[in-house]
Amino acid sequence: MNSVSPSTAYYTRGVMQDELVEKGRQQAMERQGSCNRVPPQASESRKEAAEEPDEMDKLKAKLMSAWNNVKYGWTVKSKTFFNKISPVTVLGHQYLLNSEDEVERFRLAFVSRIWLTYRREFPQLEGSTWTTDCGWGCMLRSGQMLLAQGLLVHLMPRDWIWPDAHQFTDVDFEVFRPRSPARAGGVPIPTFGSPRGSNNPEKTIPNDQVLKCSQKKRPEYARDRQAEQVHHRLVTWFEDHPPAPFGIHQLVDIGKASGKKAGDWYGPSVVAHILRKAVAKTSALHNLAVYVAQDCTVYKEDVVRLCDLPLSQTSSDGSSQAWKSVIILVPVRLGGETLNPSYIECIKNLLKLECCIGIIGGKPKHSLYFVGFQDEQLLYLDPHYCQPVVDATQGSFSLESFHCSSPKKMPFNRMDPSCTIGFYSKNKKDFESLCSAVNVALSSSEEKYPIFSLVEGKSQDYGLEGHSSSSSHSGSSEAHILPQSRVSTSNNRRNSDEFVFL
Amino acid sequence: MPPFESNHQQPQNKPFKQRKSFATRKQEVAGIKSKFPNKIPVIIERYEREKFLPPLDKTKFLVPHELTMTQFVTIIRNRMALLPTQAFYLLINNKGLGSMSLTMAQVYKEQQDEDGFLYMTYASQEMFGH
Repeated sequence: MNSVSPSTAYYTRGVMQDELVEKGRQQAMERQGSCNRVPPQASESRKEAAEEPDEMDKLKAKLMSAWNNVKYGWTVKSKTFFNKISPVTVLGHQYLLNSEDEVERFRLAFVSRIWLTYRREFPQLEGSTWTTDCGWGCMLRSGQMLLAQGLLVHLMPRDWIWPDAHQFTDVDFEVFRPRSPARAGGVPIPTFGSPRGSNNPEKTIPNDQVLKCSQKKRPEYARDRQAEQVHHRLVTWFEDHPPAPFGIHQLVDIGKASGKKAGDWYGPSVVAHILRKAVAKTSALHNLAVYVAQDCTVYKEDVVRLCDLPLSQTSSDGSSQAWKSVIILVPVRLGGETLNPSYIECIKNLLKLECCIGIIGGKPKHSLYFVGFQDEQLLYLDPHYCQPVVDATQGSFSLESFHCSSPKKMPFNRMDPSCTIGFYSKNKKDFESLCSAVNVALSSSEEKYPIFSLVEGKSQDYGLEGHSSSSSHSGSSEAHILPQSRVSTSNNRRNSDEFVFL
Repeated sequence: MPPFESNHQQPQNKPFKQRKSFATRKQEVAGIKSKFPNKIPVIIERYEREKFLPPLDKTKFLVPHELTMTQFVTIIRNRMALLPTQAFYLLINNKGLGSMSLTMAQVYKEQQDEDGFLYMTYASQEMFGH
């Protein structure tokens, strides 16, 4: 399964690596020239295509996906450096990487996250010719990863780790601060960067460490058969196969209601709503709901209404589940063209919360799933790697391509301002503590106002019903009434310079 | 909802601040405030790179003090006939989000421009694809 090894497989668009990638891409193109060059018969089909636009589209789609397969299948080795003196945060947990133990805990925390990437050769997406999402589906993949993380905390034992988690690849730990020019000071630890495939973690631990570690770690590696099964099942829900409840086929299908189709680009807010609908639709989960905040506001009573099950609706196994667990998604925009730097502190504090399940966003145009940070750099899982589809209907499929062993970082200031922040609460008590913890984190913003607000009551309480002075303007009193002045009808310059009374 | 292709329809106006001098703007605020002391003059403009939200037909609004940001956003959303699930953000001075529970008077007090207007930019979210 070396072809799916993320160790060599990252397509990273770091500033420093652009040149390298460009060079590599050219090489890749030369190597796999046949994929890119228009095949001889294509010129003929092009002639036909003029008459048959469908054929033309198909050909275009084929060429596009061939190109994307090369582009995102291309491998570039780039090391990620981790600083040993300031802690790295991964979804509410902090690790100070100055000891083997901590590095090991960090590794398990990172590699146990579910990694979902571009895939190719999956069954055609309905109503299109697409059999891959390479080059367009990255935001959907990030959304899947966020949901998968929510499901992990929902279904797995607390602080579950994947016992088969691979060794880190392309990672180094250095004593100096990350931007320090003294790269030479970096001290590579021989245990890391060992080739993938040697999955036995103990094999790579240096002798003097074995005794110390083995006693402590044995219980961690103890296999939990049940957790293993749930882990497998969870991954099958994200399979690229039409019936899978959170697979690309379902998500694209649900997105059609928002005017999206296969091949389109998606945004973090659209994806939040797609996930909400997908969870509501599936019969695989009956004890989980997704709440999506509107206008940067979480209305507590609306969440409660979503989670508070009437007594009649107890789950089938008889256990009365009076409260649904909930994933809360908050789509935000943290600046105009670039991220407003005064929000960075707050983003860090949110990622430090145990109830936070990560952030979907990315660099401009390039979606990533943020799971933590170290110093001024975000830690992420990158969906931009095109892997062949895995048939998860086979009972014992390999989980290897669903976990990532090379953590990547990028500076906060390159983060696109559009993102969706995710939280999870298991029960009512959990929700209460989520509210207070999130409020504390939100108040840490250096910006005048918080990124979003958690407020008492329901959204209707805050509507326009109580506002009398708005009645003078048509359409402003009820949310669903179309305004009289349909936008952009007025081209009258003079008019546009008048004040509108609200 | 298909992206709103505004670029081909009419050239975007220059931002309000660039269309009028500081003195003119200040004068305008003084004039409107003397006539309507209970209203706040607000400028709302589309984010220059916005691709999905339609342009507003008006940029200048006179807003009651006690109106909350939530209500204000709802009014603007309604003018554009947006669905509740559509992403819509008002950025104050084109950089920070406003707090929805505040009244316009509070926001105005803290964020008004030197010319006396309160400036807001509206934007949806960016799309990601490669």
